[in-house]
Amino acid sequence: MLKKRLIGVVTVKNGWAVQSFGYRRHLPLGRPEVLVQNLDRWGADEILVQCIDRSSSGLGPDLEVLGEISKLGIATPLIYAGGIGGREDAVKVVSHGADRIMVDAMVWDSPQSLEAVARDLGTQAVIAHLPVRMGEDGLEALDYRDRVEQPLGSWLERLPLEWVSELMVTDWSNEGSPGSFDERLLTVAQLLDKPILCFGGISEAVQLQRVLAHPQVVAAGVGNFLSYQEHALQTLKKQLGSSAVRTPHYEVRR
Amino acid sequence: MNRKTVAIVDYGVGNHTSVLRTFQALGHRCRVSSEREILAAADVLVLPGVGAFPAAMSALHRDGLASYLCELARQGKPFVGLCLGMQLLADASLEHGTTTGLGLIPGTVRPLPGMDWHIGWNSLETVQHDPLIAPSDGESFYFNHSLVFDVPAAYQAAICRERESSFTVAVRRGNVVGLQFHPEKSQASGKQLLSRLVEGLGHA
Repeated sequence: MLKKRLIGVVTVKNGWAVQSFGYRRHLPLGRPEVLVQNLDRWGADEILVQCIDRSSSGLGPDLEVLGEISKLGIATPLIYAGGIGGREDAVKVVSHGADRIMVDAMVWDSPQSLEAVARDLGTQAVIAHLPVRMGEDGLEALDYRDRVEQPLGSWLERLPLEWVSELMVTDWSNEGSPGSFDERLLTVAQLLDKPILCFGGISEAVQLQRVLAHPQVVAAGVGNFLSYQEHALQTLKKQLGSSAVRTPHYEVRR
Repeated sequence: MNRKTVAIVDYGVGNHTSVLRTFQALGHRCRVSSEREILAAADVLVLPGVGAFPAAMSALHRDGLASYLCELARQGKPFVGLCLGMQLLADASLEHGTTTGLGLIPGTVRPLPGMDWHIGWNSLETVQHDPLIAPSDGESFYFNHSLVFDVPAAYQAAICRERESSFTVAVRRGNVVGLQFHPEKSQASGKQLLSRLVEGLGHA
């Protein structure tokens, strides 16, 4: 049976890895490839590199960062997000070393492009990103570029579901705050029949256990919280103590 | 360890860096090439692949690479197909219509039974005592696919189980091996399996 995945998330701004807090404040961490190498060594189930300034600035994907990561020859599956505007960008990203892509702005700007992307890369390689929070009138999707929120229903109407394999639900307002992921966001699962990845404020094993127990949740992303100690990912997996996740992996150095 | 020369077949599809780095880390000499002399001189051929079957076959047919690879495999050259590269070994695939494959292992590539995709880490269940693949029994590997190689039992080397279905994820016919998963993205388990294949194919 498939294991639930723990995704190590590296957030990149202006070519540098940063800690991100509520999509507002960013503190530098260092070179993205160094963080990626750590996550690979620690046995993350997948690594997500999300370059948060590319779509807003119209810069396209950060192929330089991908190139540096590709040189490492990591043995962990890599998801890339940031600046992917269409099929050509998506193909470039994969040819620069990503195994899968995640799209966000494309859902707002040109959702029809998802079909061409999926036909080239395979739908299994395409993840849609939904930054969302519980508003007074229900779930609201965020277009992070201009910080405009819309009722989730209008976002869902845009999304061509048949061309994405998974959906990442990010609690953007709690991102960076320990143990604060709003589990009410999981009601998204009632609205669409897709495997869900969760991210934003997930740091504690107890909450991680609850989130991963949801039948539609196949993975959870952890970002900032992995940067504070060595082997943070293995420690988290150990604390989970669940057969639903892959056993912690320790690299043997020869 | 017996150092070998591994040729990664370059047919213009996907990124080969992870596969290249994995074999280099295992201590082998590696070449990424579509040149016949280089492929012929290698001890082991590796056919990686991402994307759709028809596009990949069409790329392989350019400059006659498909028939040359078949010729080398039929001469007994150790040959390993990874992910889509495994599916290309089949007689045909039903992805986006019917497309003829390399025909090195009998069978057809079909949609997964009872699910749209098989994404993530799953355990391998070996079904024959193949000395190169059996030691990986029970270990987890990374999968990312929506079609499977429907192969006669004689060529089935390992399966996976998911949602009450089981399907083939490793095939072998003599020196030709196909792996549906990504050993190059499966950390220690993947490296160990690739190491056994490179060192053992041609002897086992």
